[in-house]
Amino acid sequence: MTEKFQNLSISINELPKVEEVDFHPIDPKYLKVSLIGSAIFFIILAAGAFAILYFGDDITQLGIIITIGVYLLLLVWNLTLTILGFKKKKYAIRDRDILYSKGLIWSVRTAIPFNRIQHAEIKQGPIERNFGLSSLKVFTAGGQSSDLVIPGLPNETAQRLKDFILKKTAEDGEPTV
Amino acid sequence: MENQPFDFSEPRRQSTVAIGIILIKFIRMTIRAFWPILLSLFIGGRAGSRFEDIIGFVLLGFAAINLGGSILTFFRFYFHLDKDAIVIDKGVLRRTKTNIPFERIQTINFKQNILHQLFNVVSVEIDTAGAKKSEISIDALKRDEAMALRDFILAEKAQIVPEEIEDQITEEEQITEKEILYLKPLDLIKVGISQNHLRSMALIFAFVFTTLNEITEDIAGLLSDQFAEYEDYVVNNVWFVFVLSTILVLILSFLFSLVNTILKYYELRLSIHKKGLKLVRGLLNREEITINRNKVQIISWSTNPIRKLFNMFTLKISQASSTEASLKSNIKVPGSYQAQINQIIATVFPEDRYQFEITYKMHHLLKIRLFLFLGILPTVLGLATYLGLGTDALYFLLILPVSWILISLYYGKRSYQLNPEFLKSNGGLFGRSHDLTQVHKVQAVRVKQSIYQRRKRIATVLLYTAAGHLTLPFIEIDRARALENFVLYRIQTDSREWM
Repeated sequence: MTEKFQNLSISINELPKVEEVDFHPIDPKYLKVSLIGSAIFFIILAAGAFAILYFGDDITQLGIIITIGVYLLLLVWNLTLTILGFKKKKYAIRDRDILYSKGLIWSVRTAIPFNRIQHAEIKQGPIERNFGLSSLKVFTAGGQSSDLVIPGLPNETAQRLKDFILKKTAEDGEPTV
Repeated sequence: MENQPFDFSEPRRQSTVAIGIILIKFIRMTIRAFWPILLSLFIGGRAGSRFEDIIGFVLLGFAAINLGGSILTFFRFYFHLDKDAIVIDKGVLRRTKTNIPFERIQTINFKQNILHQLFNVVSVEIDTAGAKKSEISIDALKRDEAMALRDFILAEKAQIVPEEIEDQITEEEQITEKEILYLKPLDLIKVGISQNHLRSMALIFAFVFTTLNEITEDIAGLLSDQFAEYEDYVVNNVWFVFVLSTILVLILSFLFSLVNTILKYYELRLSIHKKGLKLVRGLLNREEITINRNKVQIISWSTNPIRKLFNMFTLKISQASSTEASLKSNIKVPGSYQAQINQIIATVFPEDRYQFEITYKMHHLLKIRLFLFLGILPTVLGLATYLGLGTDALYFLLILPVSWILISLYYGKRSYQLNPEFLKSNGGLFGRSHDLTQVHKVQAVRVKQSIYQRRKRIATVLLYTAAGHLTLPFIEIDRARALENFVLYRIQTDSREWM
């Protein structure tokens, strides 16, 4: 690979490379959590649509067909994204930063160095709790757009990661004045 | 601070002027919330005298509630300084006690509206970054008292927070302020002329239509009623009326932005002191914003075609804040010259490396992709109306050249620059815009790829700071990865304060 930016005083090729890192997949059980979440959403949606169709006044047959069609389309789309997108959710912890990548259609890889992390916490929804899973949330300063959530971690892993991050943040974040 | 004339350790009330200021704040809030009702009462009230009585009572009621509320609010508001925190105890119905440690306080800003100016008091706003309940404000304090409070808090904070001690040594320098920008009346007029008049126009239209909407359900009916008597004339002179109303709207928008500019940026002064920048501005509402140098994340400057004629830029300095949406603590100076901008950059980002040898363009597929979505797709949709409109639909073909020209303008200006210390993103359509940040201010790097981008081996890189992000769309994947690795490496090995 040739040098991509010539005017930098260090050689980029010698830097640790994000693209060569081994990412860990998240817990396979999280796929079930996502699917149950989708199922609940679609059951509520179906109930709502049914209520409208049932109590609505002039519902034509065409209207019903279109509703069912759109519903099925959404369902298939959601299932495809959930199942295929699941494999794309991966994370990695390096010496000085945390990486998370996801996304089937839009793949997004986020990297946050430990010395820029403000805070980390563990979150757990009711479905996740049943499967013994947690999400790890990493906060940065100034708004939520650069915050990071890694879902589908076994409780114990999440706790260990959080402790590790907070320790690293404290070490790396110390201003060396 | 031994010779402290004010004793902040005991709970204190605000200056008594605060009652009036809170009252006005309340009245404004009431009017803002209920103005459609009030307006309709006034308009509907003309019908009979009984209505007028009712309006009188309603207004009296509103006034009484507001007056009572503001007096209670005033007497239930105390603040004092604890050993290492400012404590505010307030609330009539729901009492709250807020405790903000000095080290969490980011900035203390003063504001004055016309009433404040009359009585020589200021409202004090204390901003903390990171915390959820991020702001507390004191409505009115005597100016010297407020200054003493601020100095005291900042001095205490400097003792607690270790890295700022070294700055304390040069206290003399801190006092000397150097003014680098003063908006002269002529400059102010220039700024007013070169404001975005389209936005003023939209604001005027929005205002007129919401007001009309409150008064009557049937805007079209009202308009046609009003213009009925001129109808013959209008029909015969469509072009005349059109030109006339266009000129009228243009003049109105122009005046609106001019007045707005003068109100907002009157007597604007930007000065440098040891720790950062201070901005004072405004005619009726006098505002004072201070920014600590370390907190500055992004310096942006941009220009539009008219402002370019005056060689002026709009300068924006964004600092780390609790929420990205809170733009209040950002400094915006609409009439600054290149030399002043360079001076500010040199002050805020004191590195002598602010020179870029190479400018990198975005991948040319960005242009094609934009043209597909903003040019070809709308045209195809437009042509689809051929069924309904007939040959008139062919006008939609005009989208193609127009969008191509606009996209070419945009693409021609879109670029980015990088050196070991700085990162700069350039853009603009008719004017130009630049965003500059120090590489070590970045706190998260995101690399995005759509399916299309993955196929073409390009990526979009987003660099997040504590005050917004820079977007670099459509970069070759190797370069995007190199950028990602480099920025991460630079953040991780930089031990300077970044906010």
